[in-house]
Amino acid sequence: MRVQRPEYPAAVKVSLAFVGLALACLAVADLSISTLDPWTELQRMAWGLLTPDFLAIPSLWDALLKTVSFALCGVALGASAGFLLAQAFHWGPVRWLCAFVRAVHEIFWAFILLQIFGLTPLTGILAIAIPYAGICAKVYSETLEEAPAAALALLPAGSSRISAFFFVRLPDVWVHIKNYTSYRFECGLRSSAVLGFIGLPTLGFHLETAFGEGLYSEAAALLMIFYLLIATLRYWMRPRLLPLYVLAAPFLLGAGAEMQMSNLLRFFTQDIIPAPLRNADLGAAETWQALAEWLQYLWSQQALPGMIATVVLTQIALVATGLLALGFFPLISRQFMGPVGRRLGHVFLVVLRSTPEFILAYVFLQLWGPSMLPAVVALALHNGAIIGHLLGRYSDQLRLRPDASRGINRYGYEILPRLYGQYLAFLFYRWEIIMRETAILGILGIATLGFYIDSALSEIRLDRVVLLILFTATLNIGIDSLSRQIRQRLRLSHQIRET
Amino acid sequence: MRFGRLVAFAAMIFTTLFASFSTHSADTFVFTAIPDQDESRLKERFDKVAAYLSDALDVPVKYIPVKSYPAAVTAFRNNQVQLAWFGGLSGVQARNAVEGSRAIAQGAEDPLFETYFIAHSSTGLKASDSFPGGIAGMTFTFGSKGSTSGRLMPEFHIRENLGKSPDEAFEKVGFSGDHSKTIALVQSGAYQVGAVNFQVWKKELEAGIVDPAKVSVIWQTPPYPDYQWSIRGDVDERWSEGFTEKVTQALVDMKDPDLLASFPRTAFIPASNSDFQPIEDTAKALKLID
Amino acid sequence: MFHLSEESFGYRDTPVLKKISLQIQPGEKVALVGESGSGKSTLLSLLYQRHRPDCAYVPQEPALVRSLSVFHNVYMGQLDRHNSAYNLLNLAWPRKKQVAAIRTLLKSLGLEDKIFTRAGELSGGQQQRTAVCRALFQGGPALLADEPVSAADLNHAEQSLSAMTAHFETLILAMHDVDLALAYTQRVIGIRHGRVVLDAPTQGLTRQDLAFVYRDAGAEA
Repeated sequence: MRVQRPEYPAAVKVSLAFVGLALACLAVADLSISTLDPWTELQRMAWGLLTPDFLAIPSLWDALLKTVSFALCGVALGASAGFLLAQAFHWGPVRWLCAFVRAVHEIFWAFILLQIFGLTPLTGILAIAIPYAGICAKVYSETLEEAPAAALALLPAGSSRISAFFFVRLPDVWVHIKNYTSYRFECGLRSSAVLGFIGLPTLGFHLETAFGEGLYSEAAALLMIFYLLIATLRYWMRPRLLPLYVLAAPFLLGAGAEMQMSNLLRFFTQDIIPAPLRNADLGAAETWQALAEWLQYLWSQQALPGMIATVVLTQIALVATGLLALGFFPLISRQFMGPVGRRLGHVFLVVLRSTPEFILAYVFLQLWGPSMLPAVVALALHNGAIIGHLLGRYSDQLRLRPDASRGINRYGYEILPRLYGQYLAFLFYRWEIIMRETAILGILGIATLGFYIDSALSEIRLDRVVLLILFTATLNIGIDSLSRQIRQRLRLSHQIRET
Repeated sequence: MRFGRLVAFAAMIFTTLFASFSTHSADTFVFTAIPDQDESRLKERFDKVAAYLSDALDVPVKYIPVKSYPAAVTAFRNNQVQLAWFGGLSGVQARNAVEGSRAIAQGAEDPLFETYFIAHSSTGLKASDSFPGGIAGMTFTFGSKGSTSGRLMPEFHIRENLGKSPDEAFEKVGFSGDHSKTIALVQSGAYQVGAVNFQVWKKELEAGIVDPAKVSVIWQTPPYPDYQWSIRGDVDERWSEGFTEKVTQALVDMKDPDLLASFPRTAFIPASNSDFQPIEDTAKALKLID
Repeated sequence: MFHLSEESFGYRDTPVLKKISLQIQPGEKVALVGESGSGKSTLLSLLYQRHRPDCAYVPQEPALVRSLSVFHNVYMGQLDRHNSAYNLLNLAWPRKKQVAAIRTLLKSLGLEDKIFTRAGELSGGQQQRTAVCRALFQGGPALLADEPVSAADLNHAEQSLSAMTAHFETLILAMHDVDLALAYTQRVIGIRHGRVVLDAPTQGLTRQDLAFVYRDAGAEA
């Protein structure tokens, strides 16, 4: 006799399709551990973690100050620009511009800006400010749409747009804008630290050296200071002190190198012109033949393999993130944990989400050797902790009947079904972010797009760098719009401010 | 309204930034260096070198740290540093990018630089005088992508002897990032074979970091020129007539072992662009430069 | 001043107003009565859309900016009379002159002590009076008010209604409370199912005379 089963809802079908896709990707991905003895190195790292050496790095405090200063300047500038752009966000070109600038990772922006401004503070500030402006513009404009329409309709007929904006549109959503901006500042601190890996004088600079030289006690000290910085954020980042900070920050960046405008000109008129066209006879057929070959080579040897690896890694990391998030959120949820357990859970998740993926991946790469495994684990841990945190908080708001089941039954029958839509929304929102990071991890030696961008950079072939970054941005924009379509089809809420 | 203040501060950031750039003294002679080993405390170590040069040249000298060869080349090209301690390949790239720039000095060890091919003991490979053809099909790691001893020369010999690109010749190819990491990776077995700067190998062997039971040298490349100091062509015009010679002299006269240890070299000797022609030819052959 | 002839209006396929004809002269004070859903609000907002520059409007929901003070919410009634710079200045640092003017108005509505309280922290009745005050501050020849005293006690309702009748030459009030409607207006228009079913001078009319306008509502309750 056949047992009749309920049909699965669309959300579950989509989830299964993504899991299936990830399994297919697993089949082609290289996840090997190539180090013969990862445990010795792990032991040394663990020992370093237990014996942090806070005095080892003389310029530690300077690096700390600069990390905060870069984040402050970058976020202040990016948020201000984003706020202005949000006013024109309904206009197509502005929307596209914002989509483009936020599709390019801070590190890639820094690569480009280094060519133009060199090792000046401006490089670091703009590397944060440019993508953040795009992200802020989008979020601010969505937020501003929630302003009270009724009050707006009531204004006297001749009121100016500026007056209407500041009296009616802004005040009620200001608190959301403020909260989002302070969240962005926390992201800015992570970005600022990571930019050190490519040469800015922030914490990442010393962290890279410490890890590279195997000085794990120093690395541990640096990481702990970074966690402390983020954990104490709400104590020192007071709205009242903000003007003081923003005013002081530019003076704490250090002078860096000299800036020259001729470099800017050269970048746009020579560096990024495809090599076959540089100083070539544009009327000659051979020039265009050479350009076609150049493009063909770049596409087939670098862009395409890079994109495939990026997508493969992203899909695996996305599903791994999802699985970890499901395991993480009960750790901080009132539905499952007592106060002590929740506190520990919070510490665990805070550490994971405060550590940038890039740093996690770097550490795992030292342990396991180069393959996709370190990247998958790093992405899944970091993003899983973020989504786990959001889900945990969300689950606290659920009201269960007093006699609801406990433990695993509560998880499966009461909580998960209620959370699932929100959970998928978080994941799909994170999809594009995971892909952006995946591309970046190529710099560490995993053959995603970042690997080829880094290679072209080490050959000082900026035309290739720029084209490959364009490919990366396009891929990101594609995933972003796909994710939006799936969210709409599944009717998942898209207002997620805190991811 | 807080927002209004925010805009005001953003404007202020910009003005102060530009102000801080313009007040930066134009007459400071700036250099950078990435040593082939031990990158810790670069700033502290090279600030001493800057002080020495400042004394010898009688102009303010400043060191700025960079993270990678491409960053050093970019800074040189952008005239943000006028003097740089480059690897063979990065020096060629830098001098190609800046007209009139010259290689002026190199380490006493550098004209006869070598790359060692090292292998994990489990491969069963033994030291030999001829290229070890047995490495084909194994896993292989270079140093950093832009390194002469860790990338350019080994890749050249691999192509010469195996007739294939590294991607085709090996099961897996990696870039460890630096020489110490290459040794660590081969010693741990993450890669079976690797190519490493002979100086770093010797130093780590002496320091007891290398475990001879696990990893050993299986082949040495023929000697080639490597690290050198390169200077921009426009420094004479900017500082004084004969400035380039003064810098060369100051480098060659650097005798303090403490300063030389930062590079690490026993002494500096004069060099010229033509010394590095073999490197340029090799880089062209490998299509690493146009 | 207001003029409609045989006009119909609706949302999508649902007609709300059916072939309405009305004529309201300047100086008239009119009460619109009818059960909820009869079309009073639609009629008021239609009139407001047509005559926006001349009219102040008190909507059913007070439509305040919750995070701004009562003072600022009221001041919004005159945003069009000053340049943006003055408006922004007044937003950051309220001008004495404006504070004095608004304080006088608020006093007449018994809301003086709340002048710098944020609108979101007020009770429903206080919010409604703030919306009335905004309309008073805006001024102009006519006021359209949709249930402006529905959340007020009798004392406050009478304060509000006196203030409105005193400030505006022409007044159209959509009212639920028939007794109050009769007390403050000279003409009553009854709406039922989107049609005008009564249009008469207030004088002499009693509560019972209006009962037929509400017939269905009683049955439903």
